[in-house]
Amino acid sequence: MTELNIKGGLAGQILRVDLSSGKISTKETTTYARRWIGGRAINSALLIDEVKPGTRWSEPENPLIFGAGALVGTAIGASRLSVDTISVYTNGKGSANVGGHLAAELKFAGFDHVVITGKTENPVYLWICDGRAEIRDAAHLWGMTTYETEDRLKAELGDEAVRVGCIGPAGENLVPGSCIMVDRAKAAGGSGVGCVMGDKKLKALAVRGHGSLNVARPEDFFKATDVALKKVKDSPAAKKMWQKTLAGVYAADPCGATWDFIILAKNGREECWEVEKRKRLLDPRNGFPKYQNKVLACFNCPIGCMPFSEITEGPFKGTSGEGFWVNTLMLASWLDIPEPEPIIKAWLLMNQLGLDGDFATAMMAWAFECFGRGLLTKAQTGGLDLTWGNGEALVSLLPKLATREGLGALLALGPIEAPKRLGQGSDYFCMHMKGQPTLEPFRAAKGWALGVATSPVAGRHLRGTVLLGSRFGPKDVDFEAHVYEGQARHVYWQGLAKEIEDLIGMCVYVGTWSGAYALEVSDYAALINAVMGLDFTEDELMLLGKRSRNLEKAFNTLHTDLARADDMPPRRYTEEPIPSGPYKGERAEKDKWNQMLDEFYDLHGWDKDTSLQTRSGLTALGMADVAEKLAAGGKLIER
Amino acid sequence: MDARRNMRLERNPELCHGCRTCELMCSFHHHRIMAPDKSSIQVIRRNFDGAILWSVDSSCDLCSGEDGPFCVKYCPYEALRSVTR
Repeated sequence: MTELNIKGGLAGQILRVDLSSGKISTKETTTYARRWIGGRAINSALLIDEVKPGTRWSEPENPLIFGAGALVGTAIGASRLSVDTISVYTNGKGSANVGGHLAAELKFAGFDHVVITGKTENPVYLWICDGRAEIRDAAHLWGMTTYETEDRLKAELGDEAVRVGCIGPAGENLVPGSCIMVDRAKAAGGSGVGCVMGDKKLKALAVRGHGSLNVARPEDFFKATDVALKKVKDSPAAKKMWQKTLAGVYAADPCGATWDFIILAKNGREECWEVEKRKRLLDPRNGFPKYQNKVLACFNCPIGCMPFSEITEGPFKGTSGEGFWVNTLMLASWLDIPEPEPIIKAWLLMNQLGLDGDFATAMMAWAFECFGRGLLTKAQTGGLDLTWGNGEALVSLLPKLATREGLGALLALGPIEAPKRLGQGSDYFCMHMKGQPTLEPFRAAKGWALGVATSPVAGRHLRGTVLLGSRFGPKDVDFEAHVYEGQARHVYWQGLAKEIEDLIGMCVYVGTWSGAYALEVSDYAALINAVMGLDFTEDELMLLGKRSRNLEKAFNTLHTDLARADDMPPRRYTEEPIPSGPYKGERAEKDKWNQMLDEFYDLHGWDKDTSLQTRSGLTALGMADVAEKLAAGGKLIER
Repeated sequence: MDARRNMRLERNPELCHGCRTCELMCSFHHHRIMAPDKSSIQVIRRNFDGAILWSVDSSCDLCSGEDGPFCVKYCPYEALRSVTR
């Protein structure tokens, strides 16, 4: 692929801030965009170019990089910001992705990416406005929740339109599962990006922009947007979402396949939560919908999936806020709590504390299961009764997790160290992939599980998981969610589609994933070409996606010893069959898993024995320079 | 513009999700660039209570020269329409 002449879409500058020296500089985005387009691919390229192998997440040299997608601020559905750094769990690639209005504001402020290196002794925040940046004192913000931080910054800066991305007490206290909260309700959740931010003593980014973005071919842009909007409006799933929100979609069918496949229960032991409990949680009169009074959308988003909830009576009266309810369902089922009130309270509390929902849910559920098995006593829980279903215990334990108090101090050690400390074989009950807690299913939904297991960011579910098949993916491979055969092709395709979505900042719910299934790769090509003035075909975009994925793979290879064995499911799911429900008796079978992995690595051109990349494969992708880096580290297959 | 002189924009707050597509596309009508700050429409999202504050200023020409108001055409939630004053 030759270097690209980009004529629109980008804000133009990469902002670099070194917190140790206070030095602020800029660089033209096109330096990287000509090769990698934007979003996460540029973040990944910056990481692999600038970070020495062996650098750990807590070293000042670890950059925390924010990157808006190339189409954010122009194309409908594109609102996403990619946050990349060294993962606190693996010391390999860390990456999280978040919506809201921050990414667009950043671009209107003149920046596509922000690279933050170094650390300070005293807390600071970064004020970014119209092409300029300033490191400001944040001593008065330290200790505040994310809600308080946002309110205070907007008041100080005197502008309600300022966008804030910040950490809460969890990030300040270096809890690994800390996220960066955007607009209060959207989390850059994975890889401990909030913990890295806390380690740098960076409390927040506050951003305001009054600038503009160019669209290279306006007439083509109108055409592409008309097509995209029609597809969204014609999508039955999209209509359900913006009429009822995602929780509503599931509420409409609490007996649906998603519940049988994806939403596990009781610390993942059970694949299938009792139907009566699902109905209780989602009941139109007494469940989540009772408290949901409006639905909000991210910037330029045609789906609108974020409910705003308010509890006006009972012990949790006064609880209100915007929050996302699919993951919330897992908090309920993993702790076996069917009442919506403590779950809403807990979810909004996590947003305020800046705790990653997956981390907190998995660590809590581990504690609940250990308590039930007598591995954890009341003396160790501070008197809390961690019996399944105890919502009050959940609500009272969350702040302790964020501040590392009492039992919270044990849970904050994370899924490797906490079980080591507790001993008694409790590691078996702590669900994680490569050291990052995971709530994902590994037994019934085979394609979903393969996508999770091979994710470059350790056990997260957005990098190639397929629930009902990749809707726009391979047409020549049958897809059945619970069989092993054929999954790898779909997972491979879905993973590449996601890479493209993260290049441009498109939300997966608008796109090809298990949401609206509205926009597909041909739409992305039309929008990119119109906005940026390029001439990509679908195949070329898939190639870009493949390059992006290979960058992350190479970073992990250079920085960790993760190998094929680490792409296998957690031990519990290979040993314990599903105890009940439609897929009772199934477990992750090692030989079948190995076949899926063989096929998946083959599709990527990676070596089957080691999962390492090959020189010929990388060279064919135009990544000979990356091959050289791997060769220098002795981690390249020379064929 | 003549045919639109007696028209104004009306928003249904029940349908509005605060996505700001109207703001963005309005600026595209005026300047053929994406610049919410140069839009006739201003949308403020008040995060603490979820309120969406929407306003349109006197620079709105109901997209004179276009097929119709962009904000109406591109609102994904069909929350906007042009009505007689």
